[in-house]
Formats: sequence, C-alpha cells, structure tokens
Amino acid sequence: MNKTTIHIATLFITMLLLQTLIFNHVVLFHVAVPVVFIYFIIRMSTGLSQNVLLTLSFLLGLCVDIFSDTPGVNALCCTILAGVKKSVFYLYVQRDDNNKDIIPSISRLGILDYSKYLLTMTAIYCVLTFSVEYFSLASFKDIVIAAVSSTILSFILMLGLDSLIITPRAKRL
Amino acid sequence: MRHLINFLIRYSTWFVFAFYVVVSCILLFKNNSYQQSIYLTSANAVSSSIYGVRSDITSYIGLRTVNEELQARNADLTDEVLKLRQELKKYQGIVGDTADDKSDARFDYILATVLNNSTRHPRNYFSIDKGYKDGVHPGMGVVDHNGIIGIVNVAGAHTARVISVLNVTQPFSVKLMGTSYFGMLTWHGTDPSIAYVEEIPKHVRYKIGQKIITSGNSTAFPEGISVGTVMGQVRTDNDNFVTLKVRLSSDFSNLSNVRVIKDILKGELDNLAKYDNRDMKNKSNKD
Repeated sequence: MNKTTIHIATLFITMLLLQTLIFNHVVLFHVAVPVVFIYFIIRMSTGLSQNVLLTLSFLLGLCVDIFSDTPGVNALCCTILAGVKKSVFYLYVQRDDNNKDIIPSISRLGILDYSKYLLTMTAIYCVLTFSVEYFSLASFKDIVIAAVSSTILSFILMLGLDSLIITPRAKRL
Repeated sequence: MRHLINFLIRYSTWFVFAFYVVVSCILLFKNNSYQQSIYLTSANAVSSSIYGVRSDITSYIGLRTVNEELQARNADLTDEVLKLRQELKKYQGIVGDTADDKSDARFDYILATVLNNSTRHPRNYFSIDKGYKDGVHPGMGVVDHNGIIGIVNVAGAHTARVISVLNVTQPFSVKLMGTSYFGMLTWHGTDPSIAYVEEIPKHVRYKIGQKIITSGNSTAFPEGISVGTVMGQVRTDNDNFVTLKVRLSSDFSNLSNVRVIKDILKGELDNLAKYDNRDMKNKSNKD
C-alpha cells in the first residue's frame, strides 16, 4: 500500500465521518447545510485516473447517503461532480505538463485560483444536490436560496479546512 | 473485435460515468418516495402528452373512415325520415291510396366520392366513383349532406358523370317549403352559390330566408330535400310569374362525399310514361 493510497483512504474516511457525524446535523438559518465531504473530490490529484475518481466519488456519495438516509442523492451528485472536476480545474489553471499531476490546494494554486476552483465546484454540487432533493421547478426560489447559502457556508468551511491540512511545500504554479 | 475493445477502453470513462449515474438514479427513484412520485407524475405527463399527439394524428388520419361511416349513417337516417314522412302523410290522408307498402322503401342511397368537379364553366359537370356496376344509372339524383347537387348524366362501369346544379341547361323541379307552389331551379352561370327559381306564380307569398326544397315530382329526388333559401325577387318580363333569387345550400367548390338517390319505382314510372308517349303518338297519327 503506497503513500497515495493511504492518503486517499484517510481523507475518504475523515471526510465521511466529519460529514455524517458533525456537518449533517448543522443547519444554519434553516437553509444553509454544510457539505464538506466533497473536499475529498476537490482535493483529489489531477493525475488520478478518471475511472478511479468516479468510483471513489460514487462510493463516498453512497456512504454519505447511507448515513443520511437519502439513497442515490449524494451518489448521483458526487459522480457528476467527479465527472466535471477536470474541466472546472482547467478553467482556472493552465493546462501544461507542470500541473498534470497536482493536488489542488491553496499552497499549490494560490488563494485566488483555488478559491475560484473551490467555489465553482461547491456551487455545482450544491445546485445539483438541492435540485435533486427538491426535484421540482416549482421550488426554484427555495433551491436558489438553499444552494447559495450552502455554497457560501461550505466554501468558507472547506477553505478553512484546506489551510489546516499541511501540504508539503511545493513550487507554486 | 480489437476495434471494439479499443473503443471500450478509449471511452471507458464515459461508460463508468454513465454506469454510476444510472445506479444512482435507480437508487434515487426506487428508495425516495418523493422523487419517485414526482418522476412518475412527470413521466405520466410526458407519456400522456405523447399519447395525446399520437391520438390527434391517428384520429385525423381516421377522419376519412369516420366521415364515410357518418355519411352511411346519415343516408340511413335520411331514408328513415323520408319513410316516416310518407307514413305520416299516409295516415293524414294526404297521400291516401297511392301510398302502398312499396312506398315505404321507395328511395335508397348509394354512397360515392366526387372525383373531379368544376364550377367555372356555364355547363358544369362532376364525376363520381360509382358506376352502373354499383347501381348508378342516368337520371338518378345526387345529393350531399347540405342538399341537391346534380343528376346523373352518364354512367360508366365504375364511374359516372353528373350534371351539376351549376349547369345552365339543367333545370330542377323545386317548391317553396310549406307551400305546394312549384318552380324550376336554374343557374345563370355566374355565382356558384346563387341560383334562381323561375315560374313561381305572382300571387305566392314568400319570406326572405324561406327554404326551397325538392318538389318530389321527378324520380330523381324525393320531396323535401333542401335546395337553398330565398334571398329575394328578381325583375322579369313575365307579368304572371316571378323569379326568386336563391342561395344554394350546397358548397359546390367543396364537394367530396355524396349520395346517389335510387328510386325503386323508377322502372314502373318510366314504363307508364312510355304508354303515355305511345298513346300520344297514336293520337297524333290518327289526326
């Protein structure tokens, strides 16, 4: 078992436990729900095989679903988020050999690019998950309010979480 | 095979992605009653709208059959109305002894479709898709759902030519509805919706909008079939008769399904007419 596998497994379990034991029970102003476990998908290395990323994301979503009693909701959204991850990442980061295999973080991308990437990913996930949960355009206003507030809350939490995680000093892009 | 494997490997990400999305959707819709109910409601709405479109198309395609069925039913009902009218007359003593048992089923109808039609010429004819093999013979009247439209001129095996009401050479015996005053319906060759009833006695009172119907004097048409409505009077040179301007009931520019009227007593009546002719000839020879 190499270092990368251990790193992925640790992050997977940590995020799952954090979400299910703590953040699933937090609802701010009756609308904002923190979705921190997607940090696992966001933080995955860009060099990781897309099939592995999709599988891990699906499994993570499924595990969260099992604990949250929302079968399929998070699994579907995590799979879609993993599907668009690379495209979103390369929206803000130049596509070249230097960043082919990097772990997205503040220290690697810089606060501005990383924030844009993190915010986009969080927004996509929140819009997706609330759309699937409400599953009706009649609740459009509720979806927007819940998605925007949850995106802001989750973004702040994940930004804090990223600064807590010690990343080996690497050359900034 | 190698190409297939290469294809699968090349697009494996998409397959994996689609697989997980499908599994997630199955989990979502199978285990969440809310999403399931919305999915079923939306699916029902979509399927019902698709079925609605299909129904509209098939019903439109089936209109021809429906129309033919309605025409047949209409013919039966018209026949029944005529029978009942004759029954009524019999009991009122108007027809009296002349109405024998055969008069109950005097007229029969043959359904036909107009093949070609013209309204532009002074002498207009149209063709129908029934001929003598279907029982159509010259002299038979032709009507559509609005009223009279012509009289059969020539009958082929499977088609027949009909002299239209819009033919300046062909008069039709008609009368004012509710009276027993007869006149001759003629067309003057201009407006296909207007004809004229000539030889109506001057003292006859009529109303604008009063119906003109067939007189029943010929074997071509039974009495009471609609011809048109009175629009007014036209100036004539004859002091004893008036000519009425009539708006025709039938739309001659749009003829499609028609009925040919078959008079079962036509043979008998024609034979009687032959005797009349022979007597007249003998008389003239003697003179």
